[in-house]
Amino acid sequence: MGKVSGKRFWIGGTVILAFLLPALLPAQAAPDFPAARDEAVRNLQAMIRIDTSNPPGNETKLAEHLKALLDREGIASEIVAAEPGRGNLIARIKGNGRKKPILLLGHEDTVGVQKEQWTVDAFTGLIRDGYVYGRGALDDKGGVTAMLQVFLMIHRAKIPLDRDIIFLAEAGEEAGGGVGIDFLVEKHWPKIESEFALNEGAEIFEKNGKVQYVGVSTSEKLVRTMKLVARGGSGHGSMPRMDNAIVHLAAAVAKLGDYQPRLRLNETTRAFFERLAKVSPPDEAFLYTHLEDPVVGEMVQETLRRTNVYYNSMLRTSISPNILEGGVRFNVIPSEASATLDVRALPDEDIEAFMAELRGVIDDPAVELSLAQSFWPATPPSPLDSEMFRALENAQKAVFPGVVTLPVMLTGATDSASLRAKGVPSYGIGPVVTEEDGSRMHGNDERLSIEGLGKFVEFLYHAVVEVAAAR
Amino acid sequence: MHRHRHSCVAGGLAALLILLCPMHLSSQTGLSSQTAPDFRQARDEAVRTLQALIRIDTSNPPGNETRLAEHLKAILDREGIASEIVALQPARGNLIARIQGNGRKKPILLTGHMDTVGVERDKWTVDPFEGGIQNGYVYGRGARDDKDDLAAMLEIFLLIHRQNPGRQKLALDRDIIFLAVAGEEGTPQVGMDYVVEHHWPKVESEFALNEGGSIPVRDGKVRYVAVGTAQKALARARLVARGVSGHGSVPRMDNAIGRLAAAVGRLMEYQPTMRLNETTRTFFERLATISPPEEAFLFTHLNDPGVGKLIEETLRRSGNRAYVTYNSMLRTSITPTLIQGGFRNNVIPAEAEATLDIRALPDENLDAFFAELRRVVDDPAVEVIALPRYRPIPPIAPLGSEMFRALEKAQAVVFPGAITLPEMSTGSNDAAQLLAKGVQAYGVGAPGTDEDAEGAHGNDERVSVEGLGQYVEFLYRAVVEVAGAR
Repeated sequence: MGKVSGKRFWIGGTVILAFLLPALLPAQAAPDFPAARDEAVRNLQAMIRIDTSNPPGNETKLAEHLKALLDREGIASEIVAAEPGRGNLIARIKGNGRKKPILLLGHEDTVGVQKEQWTVDAFTGLIRDGYVYGRGALDDKGGVTAMLQVFLMIHRAKIPLDRDIIFLAEAGEEAGGGVGIDFLVEKHWPKIESEFALNEGAEIFEKNGKVQYVGVSTSEKLVRTMKLVARGGSGHGSMPRMDNAIVHLAAAVAKLGDYQPRLRLNETTRAFFERLAKVSPPDEAFLYTHLEDPVVGEMVQETLRRTNVYYNSMLRTSISPNILEGGVRFNVIPSEASATLDVRALPDEDIEAFMAELRGVIDDPAVELSLAQSFWPATPPSPLDSEMFRALENAQKAVFPGVVTLPVMLTGATDSASLRAKGVPSYGIGPVVTEEDGSRMHGNDERLSIEGLGKFVEFLYHAVVEVAAAR
Repeated sequence: MHRHRHSCVAGGLAALLILLCPMHLSSQTGLSSQTAPDFRQARDEAVRTLQALIRIDTSNPPGNETRLAEHLKAILDREGIASEIVALQPARGNLIARIQGNGRKKPILLTGHMDTVGVERDKWTVDPFEGGIQNGYVYGRGARDDKDDLAAMLEIFLLIHRQNPGRQKLALDRDIIFLAVAGEEGTPQVGMDYVVEHHWPKVESEFALNEGGSIPVRDGKVRYVAVGTAQKALARARLVARGVSGHGSVPRMDNAIGRLAAAVGRLMEYQPTMRLNETTRTFFERLATISPPEEAFLFTHLNDPGVGKLIEETLRRSGNRAYVTYNSMLRTSITPTLIQGGFRNNVIPAEAEATLDIRALPDENLDAFFAELRRVVDDPAVEVIALPRYRPIPPIAPLGSEMFRALEKAQAVVFPGAITLPEMSTGSNDAAQLLAKGVQAYGVGAPGTDEDAEGAHGNDERVSVEGLGQYVEFLYRAVVEVAGAR
């Protein structure tokens, strides 16, 4: 009984809050969101100009840039580093302490660039056709910019807060080494301990010029990098050998490239596709509701495999061969060749059994499969009924009315895993992006739409104020 | 005659052999009928020369062959033989020397290369640059490729000169030219290319002897002497696969690495058509005559409409070193030797590439062949790029020439009971440039077991002292036969 009434009350509360919210915000100091957007764009450009490709990272340069910016605003901040050059920046706006803090975090470092594949300079922050271009525009300098913007807006508006708001720009997310989140969790936990965290993760997905849904990641796949090593006889290139290591490696990679591990939905992904179907045109909705259909399921999965690489990866443990290496000289058959497979496991995958399955697919004693890297243990998903998740849903209703909030299992890995492991429910959010924008993440000509950044700032502002503002 | 010779060699003493069998060498040559060389001494001298050559590190890169050329020049100076070092780059010297004949016939060129490939020192059990002798072997980088040839060629050059120091000027119908080149191992532009282009009159000749043959020793026996009369042409290609870059957490069907792997897979299933030429046809015919019946069957039925395909597959799938070579002699071969793509575990690269070591039959139409490869790859995302060739496609040296016959005769004396096999080298060497200039170049090589052969470009490279001695005698007899005055 109490449960039911509690739920009713909760629904009522949500409705009231949704009505109150637009009225509540202007009552304090109506934020000028276009101005906030333009400021965020300038900040993003400045951050892109500070090359933090990891390796080597050199995040301290960016941390110092942020510190100077916060100094000007009168916000105290601190740079802590496990290694010289790998600075993390932490700042805090004090609340009245009635509730535990909320943590806004993003990472300063980016992956490197294949310069010759870019059509624009990756480090000038060029604006073209409504987009900011540059390495990190999406991952994750766009996120850091938006978090910082909301942080500054709340500080400037002097909004009374029930919670401290912590801003964290961390180093070393893109490659291990323990200079970022692990270092902070271990050595500086009191400075970032919080009830909720907002981090990079999912995205606000736009298609055909319209926002389709607001994704909030509550769980993520696990990095289980694997290595293939083929061994054979060495020899002179003029005499082909059947045991050529490169040939065996290529055959194994080709087989795994073709191989589709079995589809398996979990609670998050099942909810995701069910809710997605409700806001999709009939032909797409059909796909999302027939993934496991005994008759058309296979056809549906093949269609998604070709047409939506993200959804396809959410359905199964995935394999992407990303590195190939072998050979010393054009006329020498090497005795060894290797490939690195980026394997992203479903959170409940039995990795030993999965590797046994892959060995069966490879079916070649000359090729050895091993686990090379295994980041993070599996952690339970962050709850869908928390104050934070509800605030995100409310912000979605205010800023993107008419769409839905989708709980997402992330295909990639983020530092939220470390926070979840410390018991902090962490939600992954991101700016408005199209599929095309998303495909450039870690790729070439990475970009972020100016309008999409502006909307993200607005969305984030609503959610953070709802959770942190004094009642 | 054959049997007679056989018994002579079985006697074992070179001096005795010369006394009992004066007909081994042309009876008309003043040269050979005078003092017979002491082949045992010649062997020991060649061994000492080889040791000294090994001690001069000429790993290429960088090569530094000039130091070795100067060493050779000092030896020749002591013997009173004029020589010259010519170089495109100061450290990459080539040495040329000549013994004058009476000019009735065109010269014969004895050539070898001074540079070697590098060493993986941690895989050697001996010092690769010490020239140490162990259990009857000279060890060291270059002991087989190609300082043994240089030492042997130099030895017979000296032997002939010492028997002919101006006293017997008419003893040679041909000049004999000794040429030690730089840069064979990947940089012929400073070596044979340079010599052929800029110093041609100094090396122009009718015949040449160069590395490229072999005298395999199995169970202590020599069954055949292989003489290189043809070589395949090196025609490298690069496969470049292109796709869309992205994050590794979301696999893509256009992943460049996946496409490249599939293309390599299709090329490996593809077997270019078998095609025999004069050299390889003769090779397999003669090889059959000294092979046990089941092997002979393979060699005589390659073109058989019934079992031919089965035999080709047997040779292709065999791990037997000889069969691996035979398989490559049958067709233009494709071997992927380098594969590379990607730079981070979690980034799908936009590009991945593989290098194919292609060895073309001497009559291959390469344009048509590459068109065929593109058809086999059958993927617009994978480009097949023909890389520049650094040696010309060499014509085949004839089996009916004076030089080839002299090599056959020398074989009959030094390795009686064996046969001479004309061979098409699956590799390529500097004879290609000579063949392309119209020189009838023949490949020769010192006796060695299969294990010895692994050492070339490998680890613990070595040549047998006894084998080197036999090789010197073999070369001496062939050269005197061709160059001696009649």
